[in-house]
Formats: sequence, C-alpha cells, structure tokens
Amino acid sequence: MASAEPESAKEAPLPPPSTAPRGGVNLSLVDFGLRFVLFAAAVSSVVVIVTSKQTVVGKLRGVPPGFPVQAKFDHSPAFIYFVAALSVTALYGLVTALASVSVIAKPNLSTKFLLHFAVWDTLILGVVASATGAAGGVAYIGLKGNSHVRWDKVCYAFDKFCRHIGGALAASLFASVVLVLLIWISIISLHARIRK
Amino acid sequence: MQLKPAATAMDGDGDGVRSHVKVIESARRRLRWPFDGVVRFLGLAFTLVAAVVVGVDNESKILSVTITKSLPPIHFYASAKWQYMSAFKYFVVSNCIACAYAAVSLVYSVKTRGQKDDPMRSLLLISFDLIMVGLLFSADGAAAAIGVIGRDGNSHMHWIKVCGFFEGYCHHFTAALVISIAGSVMFLCLVVLSVLNLHKK
Repeated sequence: MASAEPESAKEAPLPPPSTAPRGGVNLSLVDFGLRFVLFAAAVSSVVVIVTSKQTVVGKLRGVPPGFPVQAKFDHSPAFIYFVAALSVTALYGLVTALASVSVIAKPNLSTKFLLHFAVWDTLILGVVASATGAAGGVAYIGLKGNSHVRWDKVCYAFDKFCRHIGGALAASLFASVVLVLLIWISIISLHARIRK
Repeated sequence: MQLKPAATAMDGDGDGVRSHVKVIESARRRLRWPFDGVVRFLGLAFTLVAAVVVGVDNESKILSVTITKSLPPIHFYASAKWQYMSAFKYFVVSNCIACAYAAVSLVYSVKTRGQKDDPMRSLLLISFDLIMVGLLFSADGAAAAIGVIGRDGNSHMHWIKVCGFFEGYCHHFTAALVISIAGSVMFLCLVVLSVLNLHKK
C-alpha cells in the first residue's frame, strides 16, 4: 500500500489525538459503577458472616453427646475485625460512589478528586487485605486444624458456619480486586488529564 | 518554583514554552526521586529483616513429667518453628517476595531515573506496588490473627494458648510482625508518592 505509507509516516511524529474527554467520561462511569459494586460486595460479605450462627448437638469430638455447642462469628477476634473492616469499606464505597457522581458532573474540577480517590483507595485496600488475611488464617485452621499445637478442626461439625465464612471471604477477595481496578482507573484518568 | 516567562515563550512558539516547562518540571521531579529510592530501600530492609527473623527463629523445649517416684521422668520434646503453621509460611513467603520485588524495582528505578517520563513505566511500577501492598497487608493480618490465637487461646473452639510455653518465640515473632507492618506501610507510601508525583506535574 504505497499510498498508505506516506500518511502513516506523516502521522507518526504527532502524538495520537487525545481521547481524554470522551474516554474520561466513560472512565468516570466505570468508576462510579465499580464503587457501587465495591459497596455491594462489602455489604454482602458483612451480612453473610453475621448470619452464620449455628448450633450443633452431638457432632463435635470431645463434647459429651446431647450437649449443644454454638458457633458464632464473635467467638473469634479475627472475625470481629473482619466485620468491622468490611463495614468501614462499605461506608467508604457508598461515600465515594456519591463523590464520583460529582466527577461525572464536573470533569474540569475532578483532578483533586481523582488524587484523593487514589490515595484513600490504597489505604482501604490495605485494610480489606489485612481483614481477609486474618479471617482466612483463622478459617484455615478451623478447616484443617493444626497437629503441632493441638488445635482441632471444627468445620466437619459446623458445616453451615464454615460455608458462610467461606462465602464472606470470597466476597471480600472480590472487593479487594475491585479496589485495585479502581486505583488503576484513577491513575489512568490522572495520566489522561495531564496529557491534555 | 515559579515558571518565569522567557523571551522565547512570548512569541507563541509551542516548542519554546514546552522546553521551558520541561526544564523546570524535571528539576522538580528530581526533588521527588531520592524519596522514592529511599522508601523502596526501607521497604526492602524491613521485609528482609522480618523474613529472616521468622525464618531463622526456632525454639525447642524439653518438658519432663514424673508419673511416679519409682520411674524416671519422661521427657517430651516440643519445638516451635515457622513451618508448623500455614499462616507463618504465608508470612515468610510474602515477605521474601516483597523483598525481592523491592530489590529489582530499586535497581530498575535507579537505572531509568534520567530517562524521559514514560507512562507505561510508572503504571507498571504502581501496579506491582499495589499488588505488593495487598499481599503484604494480608500476610500481616493472617500472622497477627494466628499470633492472637496463640497468645490468648480460644475457649469456644478449645484452642489452647501456646505463648506461655514458647515465650521467646512469641516475642521474636511479635517483633518481626511489627517490622513487617512497617515494611508494608513503606510500600503504601510508594504508591502514594507515585500518585502525588503524577499530580504535581
């Protein structure tokens, strides 16, 4: 294609036309949608783990038969920390979803918002990751036990409890992935605005 | 630093303005660079110390029990190592990964410090820094949760506390956990510094 080559040679030194205004609005919509998804994931995780109470009779080893044993999320400080951290994340998701509406409405004044979003998203990512790790560690011991320290597994008896904890952990893992995507979007939007 | 309008800028030549802007911007960016390298080095140091302290630490105790006076006492051998707990394995492995990443990215950022600003380079570094933040924070949370169970036990699940028996190991582990948290805060500061760097351009 001899006619196409000089055109491409002329266009190569110039930077590609900036699609920031159109791309910026689309990214803001994606940002708002993802923040709402973050809020939903955090709320569902909290609800699932709070409703995980289970009472079991006669299945747990080391307990006399006929004696009811209960498992609740507040029997372990790691799960309490998990509930607190994910509640904070849910509130954060709601507040920043409302704030990103103003980013969509006024794109000119949004650089400061994007900067704040990126920084606070990173902090909340740290919180969610640590809560997931803590609850995951305790849940793993409940599932597999630990023979070296004589900590018995409990999930064979409390099946509904362990399923709820597993579901809540999956939702919080999804929430942390959503947070990483949100930080990427904020940084790409900041880059696009600087190029202008 | 203020942008002083020069004679070349007044004639409306786009290249003149852009070259002046770039000179002052790169000077301002050079102010930021030492902090980036110093924070990376601190992250490397903290995660290295945490991984080494937990990896090397080992406490063994012999517990002798006498059942009757006529028989000699029976000796029970108990040891505490990081390989016995999966959460501790995750902690050591995460800190090793973060330490290796900090070393590689420190070398990379020192080598490419003078080059023109490339969006792909900063995006790549920020993405990996974010992954390291998530990894390190989750490893710290898991280790802290297992440490709390070891220290206080859990009466509902009948998990006995073990820190009363392995006191030295628990103290070493707590120190390593605090240092690892400091290291993960360094990685967090790296992401914040990169974002602020973007904004100040």
